[in-house]
Amino acid sequence: MERLSAQQRSKIRRLSQPKELAPDEEGGELNIVPFLDIITNVMMFVLATITVTFTATIDSFPPRAGGAGARAPTTPTLGLTILVVPEGFSVKARGGNVAPGCNEAGPGLAIGKTGNEWDYAKLTACVQKLKASSDAFKDETSVTISGNPNIPYQTIISTIDAVRSAPDPSGKDIELFPDVSFGVAR
Amino acid sequence: MTGQNLEQQLGPTSPGGGNTPPPPRQPPAPMAVYKRELRREIKRRALEPEINFLNITAMLDMMTIILVFLLKSMSAQTASLPQSADLTIPKSILTTEASQQGVAVLISKSWIIVDDKQVVPVPGDPTHGVEGKYKRGGPNDLYITELASRLQSWRDRDKQVRASTGKDATGSEAIIIADKDTPYRLLVEVLFTLGQTEFNKFHLMVLQGSKR
Repeated sequence: MERLSAQQRSKIRRLSQPKELAPDEEGGELNIVPFLDIITNVMMFVLATITVTFTATIDSFPPRAGGAGARAPTTPTLGLTILVVPEGFSVKARGGNVAPGCNEAGPGLAIGKTGNEWDYAKLTACVQKLKASSDAFKDETSVTISGNPNIPYQTIISTIDAVRSAPDPSGKDIELFPDVSFGVAR
Repeated sequence: MTGQNLEQQLGPTSPGGGNTPPPPRQPPAPMAVYKRELRREIKRRALEPEINFLNITAMLDMMTIILVFLLKSMSAQTASLPQSADLTIPKSILTTEASQQGVAVLISKSWIIVDDKQVVPVPGDPTHGVEGKYKRGGPNDLYITELASRLQSWRDRDKQVRASTGKDATGSEAIIIADKDTPYRLLVEVLFTLGQTEFNKFHLMVLQGSKR
């Protein structure tokens, strides 16, 4: 094998020295790491400080008084009406008042208060029972809710929740009366 | 200076008594050999790649994308509602998406507000609705005159928009944002006035609460 001359060896030594690249000689890629750091920190603070409120809307319609969409008078209808009073719930169905206990027609409040609270669970059970009382009511989804002038809005909303759906024995929600209209008490 | 010292300085003498000639210059190796040796030497001396920082760029990219998607999906379900002592929205078990269609009618403890404009003040005891002077037929009426006129101008604009976009122009929609303590009488007065000004669908705004 041919041997390198001293001059060649010297040149090889010189050229093979590792050299540091100057910042302007490095790859021309933009370093966005600090920028992303700032963005992430800002977003974390934004998320930590904002108050997140998940909202929903309950659809309602003005009270209807029959018309083109109304059922024929011969078809039996439940015509469920719930009146929220300070002492509990008064329930009207098939044109008559539902008696206490929600088993038969008669005077009185269908569901009284439990302690100082309106009993929404009993109201759900009552409207479920009324809907199941006849096959003719199976497709009925309308309910009219009315209340005493001083009943707070939260109670009205909770009443709507109570009559909208109920869990069946398997735990799945079944629809009861999701179409709400408000009654006008004069 | 002695003769020995001189000899050390000049180097060994030739057998004939003269100085030894320098060795002949070695001819350079061929270029191929030189280049091969150069490559080998560069490779040998190259610095080991040193990792002196954690490269988190990829992770930060991912984080940023996830956060953007999170904020985007949250904005679809949330609303910038002015929650205060004057307005606390009721809770419901409903978890459906909130509707954003229609005029926003806000009933706080102190004012009825339509599209961010205060229309009618709510009295200290609102059990009997707003004061009689704001109603068409006195305290027992349900029709709030000033609210109706404000809603009517909104309805007129909405009617034109609906007609030009091919939507059903027979009625408009309204979003009702009311305080949880609003008495039923006041709520009914507002709904009645809405109904009288051709608003036929109401979206009652609630906060998503826990399941029963």
